[in-house]
Amino acid sequence: MSTPALTRRTLLAGGAVLATTTLLPRPALAAGRIVAPVYPGPWEEAYRAVVLPAVKKTQDVDTVLTPLLALDQVAKVKASRSTPPFDVFLLDPGPVVVAAEDGLIDRFDPSRCKNIANLQKAFVDEWGVAVAAQIVGIAYNPKKVERPKGWKDLFEPKYYGKVGISGFGTTFGTSSLIEISKQYGGSMTNVDPAFEQLRKWLPHVGVIAQNPVAVNTLFQQGQMDVTYTNYQTVSTLKGRGVDIEFVKPDTGPIAFYTTLHVVKNAPNKDNAYKYIDTILSTDVQAALQKPPYNLLSVNKNVPLQPDMPSDLVKSHAELASFIHHDWRVIAPLRAAWIERFNKEIRQ
Amino acid sequence: MARQTTVGDLSYRVVLGLLSTAALLILMVPVVVVIITSFTDSRSLRFPPPAFSLRWYSALFDPVQSAQIHMAAWNSLVIAVAATAISVVLGTAAALAISGRRTWWTQTLDAMFMSPLILPTLAFGLAALMFFSMLRLPLSIPLMILGHVAVIVPFILRTTIASLSQLDRGLLDTSSSLGAGAIYTFRRITLPAIRPGILAGAFIAFMASVDNVSVSLFLAGPENDVLPIRMWSMLESQLDVRTAAVSGVLIFTTAILVVVMDRIVGLTRRIS
Amino acid sequence: MDRALQQGDPAITRPRARAPREREGWLALPLALFFCFFFLAPLALLAGISLRVTPQLEGFGLVQYAKFAGDSFNWSVLWQTLLIGVKTVALTACIGIPLGLLFMEAPRRLQPILLFVIVLPLLTSVVVRTFAWMVILGRDGLVNNTLTALGVISAPLRLLHTELGLVVSLSQIEMPLMLLPLISVMSRLDPNLKDASAALGAGRWRTLFRVTLPLSLPGLLAGCLLVFASSVTAFVSQTIIGGGRMILMPFYLWQQATTLFNWPFAATIGMVLLVAVLAVVTTLNALGRRSRALVHG
Repeated sequence: MSTPALTRRTLLAGGAVLATTTLLPRPALAAGRIVAPVYPGPWEEAYRAVVLPAVKKTQDVDTVLTPLLALDQVAKVKASRSTPPFDVFLLDPGPVVVAAEDGLIDRFDPSRCKNIANLQKAFVDEWGVAVAAQIVGIAYNPKKVERPKGWKDLFEPKYYGKVGISGFGTTFGTSSLIEISKQYGGSMTNVDPAFEQLRKWLPHVGVIAQNPVAVNTLFQQGQMDVTYTNYQTVSTLKGRGVDIEFVKPDTGPIAFYTTLHVVKNAPNKDNAYKYIDTILSTDVQAALQKPPYNLLSVNKNVPLQPDMPSDLVKSHAELASFIHHDWRVIAPLRAAWIERFNKEIRQ
Repeated sequence: MARQTTVGDLSYRVVLGLLSTAALLILMVPVVVVIITSFTDSRSLRFPPPAFSLRWYSALFDPVQSAQIHMAAWNSLVIAVAATAISVVLGTAAALAISGRRTWWTQTLDAMFMSPLILPTLAFGLAALMFFSMLRLPLSIPLMILGHVAVIVPFILRTTIASLSQLDRGLLDTSSSLGAGAIYTFRRITLPAIRPGILAGAFIAFMASVDNVSVSLFLAGPENDVLPIRMWSMLESQLDVRTAAVSGVLIFTTAILVVVMDRIVGLTRRIS
Repeated sequence: MDRALQQGDPAITRPRARAPREREGWLALPLALFFCFFFLAPLALLAGISLRVTPQLEGFGLVQYAKFAGDSFNWSVLWQTLLIGVKTVALTACIGIPLGLLFMEAPRRLQPILLFVIVLPLLTSVVVRTFAWMVILGRDGLVNNTLTALGVISAPLRLLHTELGLVVSLSQIEMPLMLLPLISVMSRLDPNLKDASAALGAGRWRTLFRVTLPLSLPGLLAGCLLVFASSVTAFVSQTIIGGGRMILMPFYLWQQATTLFNWPFAATIGMVLLVAVLAVVTTLNALGRRSRALVHG
């Protein structure tokens, strides 16, 4: 009888070899190493192009970037807190509160980052440091619809069927819905008016995105022509040739800061501080701010002009005058808002 | 025997013809659409594409731009090979024990081993994540392999049991009555006979592992990113048209593999 | 074999006292152990976590289940999810059975090609297929552009993010799961039965409904079970094609686990889904056995 080429034995041997190779310890790198999450999309492109080479050059640290949204980062670390899968967090204000309360963040030691001297005091606290500013407003397709002026315009009949709404799952979503609520008598902690307004408007809905980054996709596909989102998203899509423009709402645009933190029990804590320090440096901040990335800097030495359009924001001082929400107050309320949103928008 | 074609016959043929054409169209159109879209020149998913080019394929194969995708693809491959290998060993052994016998325990085991096909694997994915988290095991490739084995082993079991059921028991009895040991009988008689069945099952299991979302969704991390999760993230977050190119490559590879496997083990015969 | 005897192969000259089959039971042990540790144990843990009271995993009680049961929203999510499964099965069966029949009646040469067409979607990634349906159903996609070009519609239809779009795409994505068991059983049917039916004067429809379908029931049932289970848990397709307004159990589970970090409630949703699917599957199986008894006497 012929011996079959692919016997059970060879399969078994092959499988065993492969299984053991994955268990082998990684070869020690000459340089240091850090695993860092980054928001998928434009952030990832920016960090790959600018931050990775800079960290390697100035600190001799190899970075493994993993694309993950803020909440997903928290979820992953929560699932294995004693051996977290990455060394730093890149978070928006909402998830910061959640992660801090759950004890996932290591207390931040500003003395280990010399570039912090270039930041305003308000940008550093016990948990972490701001690395970029984000502006939230309204985005629209100039070829298909008129320029909206403010939050109330989203519900105008001329935009029926064209507006995209996203929920409280994101920072920009929550902030926008809070501002919408304020237009109708609500406040930072009371979003009932927003829900009222949504309910009235629901028959004319364009599209609703539960996944935060679906905004990009839906806009590109023409499934929606007006929505609220970060300025960053708009500039990235514009750079790709999509017809989209950003509008500062007439009642005032929203600003918040994206922050970096050190994860508790991080395996590469020293390298984490080096990583953060590099991102705060003047060179990197300046490079990240340039088009097409447009990540607003927090470093005093990097003026917002001329990279940013002058009608958007002229200086750091002006940025500070935008609307800021207190996330320590909002965070505990969000879970209930998310669940209520589910119920209200359901088909 | 010749029969007069009645109205019933005609209506039967028309209705069935229409419905089966609809079925064939529905099966084929998405695959064709993806392939065509992968050659689009534009950044959006318009169909028909406004212009054609190979830009997304070249972007896909660019090692700098698509490093993440390459790593995810490599991980998927490694995990699939390892998971399939383990499943073949465990599954073939179990199939030998279960096939043909109808005792209470073989039936229970059969139901248990087949249950991943029926139970919502998403719930299992979450359960696996919680389980490994409680055991303080960091997410890694070996853990992903274990999770995959659980959900792909039913495929191997099914085809191997089917193969075994077609095996002539008489051969085995003859072999043993002639004095052959159990291992010898297995190696020289059973294994060659069921090898095509095992291979067919292994092929399907392999593809199921490469394609698995529900378990990978929960067990994937920065070090063990896998292709379907990467593609889903690319689709949802950036509408990256490279997804179309990845799809094109996957379809092409799958088609070739199916044809090859069909030649080797009569795959299409075996799973029908 | 003869040569081995001549050369006195030790494996053969040893006399065998027992039949080889009896000693094989233990072969199932490795897989059984594997399943116990890496399949049943996690599921048991899931059940355990669903009994915890707070998101910080303290306390024991049926609070989460009470929370699930008390809110009609949750029941409607479950109901809608199961209903999508049923609708997908119905559509898949309606167009899958004719395709199976076509396969059986196709000439021998064409059968491998047909089988290739049927199998290929099964083996292409589910993300790929979902992506395809995005392109087909989108506002600027295949269906809308074709209909506009033909002058049938003037403005694009909304097909994406609707239940119809989801059911149609799910039925394509899951159709091979229906067809393969069906064809497997149909190909084993005795062709004489069909001829006998025709010889006795039954029309094609009658033969179909009285002979072919009842005899194919085991395959049909297996297909229905697989399609149901698979479409109910199809997270990626549901979220991408169904869209944000369609809250179904998989998304709900995902949101609770990774956005709200409420593991106990997420586990509860998982358990409810498991039990619901198991209930449907068991019922269908029982019905199948009864019908099989009816058919075979």
